[in-house]
Amino acid sequence: MSDAISVSGASDQQRSLGRRLWDILGARPELFTLMLVVATCVVVIIANPDFLQMSNLVDILRASVVRGLFAMGVLVVLAAGGIDVSFTAIAAFVMYALTMLVINVAPDMPLVAILVIAAAGGAGLGALNGLLVHKLSAPSLIVTIGTQYVYRSFLLTFVGTALFMNIPAAMDNLGKASLYTHVSSNGVASALPATVLVLAVAALVTWFILERTLMGRAIFAVGGNPQIAERLGIKLFTVRVFVFAYAGLLAGVAGVVHVASNRLANPFDLAGMELEIIAAVVLGGARITGGSGSVIGTLLGVLLITLVSNVLIFVGIPSTLQLFIVGLFILIAGTIFTLRNRG
Amino acid sequence: MNAVPPSASAEKPPFLEIRNVKKSFGGVRALKDVSLTIEAGKIYHLMGENGCGKSTLIKILSGAQKADEGEILIDGKPTGAVAGDLGAIGALGAGIETVYQDLSLLPNLSVAENVAFTEQLVASSGRLARRLDLATLHATARRALADVHLPTDRSFLTRRTDTLPLATRQLVAIARAIASDARLVIMDEPTTSLTRQEVENLIKVVARLQERGVAVLFVTHKLDECKQIGGRAVIMRDGMKVTELDVATHSKAKFSHWMTGREISETRYRTDPKLGDVLLKVEGLSKGVAFADATFELRRGEILGITGLLDSGRNELALALAGISPASHGTIRLDGKTIAPQSAAEAIGHGIGYVPEDRLTEGLFLEKPIQDNITLPILDRLKNAFGIISAGRARRTAEESVRDLQIVAPEVSAPVQSLSGGNQQRVLIGRWLTIDPRLLILHGPTVGVDVGSKDTIFRIIQRLADGGMSVIIISDDLPELLQNCDRILIMRQGRIISDDSAVYLNEDSIYRAMAGHTKETI
Repeated sequence: MSDAISVSGASDQQRSLGRRLWDILGARPELFTLMLVVATCVVVIIANPDFLQMSNLVDILRASVVRGLFAMGVLVVLAAGGIDVSFTAIAAFVMYALTMLVINVAPDMPLVAILVIAAAGGAGLGALNGLLVHKLSAPSLIVTIGTQYVYRSFLLTFVGTALFMNIPAAMDNLGKASLYTHVSSNGVASALPATVLVLAVAALVTWFILERTLMGRAIFAVGGNPQIAERLGIKLFTVRVFVFAYAGLLAGVAGVVHVASNRLANPFDLAGMELEIIAAVVLGGARITGGSGSVIGTLLGVLLITLVSNVLIFVGIPSTLQLFIVGLFILIAGTIFTLRNRG
Repeated sequence: MNAVPPSASAEKPPFLEIRNVKKSFGGVRALKDVSLTIEAGKIYHLMGENGCGKSTLIKILSGAQKADEGEILIDGKPTGAVAGDLGAIGALGAGIETVYQDLSLLPNLSVAENVAFTEQLVASSGRLARRLDLATLHATARRALADVHLPTDRSFLTRRTDTLPLATRQLVAIARAIASDARLVIMDEPTTSLTRQEVENLIKVVARLQERGVAVLFVTHKLDECKQIGGRAVIMRDGMKVTELDVATHSKAKFSHWMTGREISETRYRTDPKLGDVLLKVEGLSKGVAFADATFELRRGEILGITGLLDSGRNELALALAGISPASHGTIRLDGKTIAPQSAAEAIGHGIGYVPEDRLTEGLFLEKPIQDNITLPILDRLKNAFGIISAGRARRTAEESVRDLQIVAPEVSAPVQSLSGGNQQRVLIGRWLTIDPRLLILHGPTVGVDVGSKDTIFRIIQRLADGGMSVIIISDDLPELLQNCDRILIMRQGRIISDDSAVYLNEDSIYRAMAGHTKETI
């Protein structure tokens, strides 16, 4: 009998090493995202060392800004147990309507005013989502599919479909502004866009709200179990309206950044990005069922998605195969995160 | 009958007084004029059958529901709202904390957040645009956790509550009440899923609360525990307060009578068993560290009880027999044929039905109709020639079960959540009876079920056994086992340490065997 005990003891210890790693991964799912990011980079660098050029890194950052802004909003909604697929429609609506307004009414409007209006407009449309989700007690997926169609169709039917090639000066300047310009040995200049700052601020604010305010705890509480949260005195209405309004606000800002970076306001832009953003947030460790997720994980998730869609060309992977890789990552991450939850 | 000396209460008004509270849902009068006084530092037991109105009363006290009429006074002062609408934050602000059966813990938040977040929420009057004060959060959590003798180190404070065992979660919920300076803690059937040792621990914690002048209101079905804890019993029936008295002064039979309005015997249900040949023969069944070398037999028409502490392996043994969590070694022989069920479906194929302990999360689809819940395992049999489920046959099967098991329900299309706990449990039993099991495994068949329903469920179990079905009951409700079983297996640390006829056993001897004769017992 003593034999049996010592045998099981040994296997217990063996297990405990792997077990410990597993537990760490359970507590910090973003480490897994980081591992995927590093693995992708290593593969790309081995296949093509040219990848390590400053211009490429800057490109990835630039391409991450709009995605990152959207993802911060989605993170907050997911954390509260909801889901939002209308943010691209909100962004398109705000960017196009606002560009039109500025060009036709106040061409000299300063950037700050433009951003404030974009944020307010986005927040308003987002708050409408929250209001509908709460009042109809309908699943937020259904509500936001509905509002996505309504916002988009309203934009194309009543606001306009023509492209704006000459965007307002303030937006143009935002798109051109750079924090730092790097000139590489072969003479290629690459500029770190100032829009990265917008994402940095948004990430900090989102982190602060989620981790350092009562609202943040209330958001996770509602995402964990809304009935219990309500019993503890948390007002579900306030939380729901807040998270959707916040996602809308970031979508509005993302819309302006998108116009500024592309020097073009196209009302057909951004449509179809929803799933990719939600995938990025989930890859960053947030659960689709709510109540979890972190800013750093989400940023890593966005980075991963951007990496895959921007740099796999460097290793000779055709763009048609990129979605395959993204899909694979999602399946791997999904499996890992589910297993860790079963513990 | 006046145990309370009048002098103290004459000067200081009681903490809480509710006067003539009435509440109806549609046409149903859940509370018909209830008045109740709760004094600081006293213990109350709110008792009554399911549907007597006690849940409604609790919800009004915790601010989750609004009374139609009546008054709520705190410290002798009216609470403002005419009809006693405290609101969740209002009730918490007044110091009324409710520990529901589900413990109201947020699974994804840390221990510290669960314990101390309410304090900050109450301080901000429910406004959320405030800084989260992490230092205070942790300090408050530490203080409260120390009070219930839980660890206060950082790794415990930051642990997600869904990773904790149930008894620890319960203490965390009580720590939350302490952290918010509760003056009245309402506990809704707190001991339902605890082992006896954990119950002892809970009782100690309650005594400490009482010392600091906190009143405790238990909602409970367990008379033994009420007697052990002491205090006043408030008995409700049919939306009215029947009586209020000292728990120590009356017999259990008397309490049952007040609650149900009828006499219920505490005697053995098992009389004159007709045992057949051996149906189940288990030999050397083992599974990892959970249980080892389980060997026993079960005859046709026999009722076998299995008990032990939570870590004794009794649950795992049951799950292995039911195929849900297969054993690693040993043999199970059913009717002479060796079987090794690897899944619940396989066990069902062999005629083994398993009714899980936690009917809410493991067993029933609460929002689905009774009919769908009952006919779930036999959908194959209800198919017609085109592979479509015959609604008529499903309905007839369900109606038969409802009649057979005396389920009180308006119709079989009503959702299960509209039924009381005892009736939900019967729906679950009814489901497994549809497969005509040879062996029925019941896990905690009367957990959270009131006295009247218990009686009905026990009679059903006896009837099934008389019909030749073999039954295994896994439970830590010792009177339940003693009243119903032919034999009782006692497990400790993964092994069966005793296999004896129930008539030779009593609660005391079983409990001593379960706990392993250690000094700390009772």
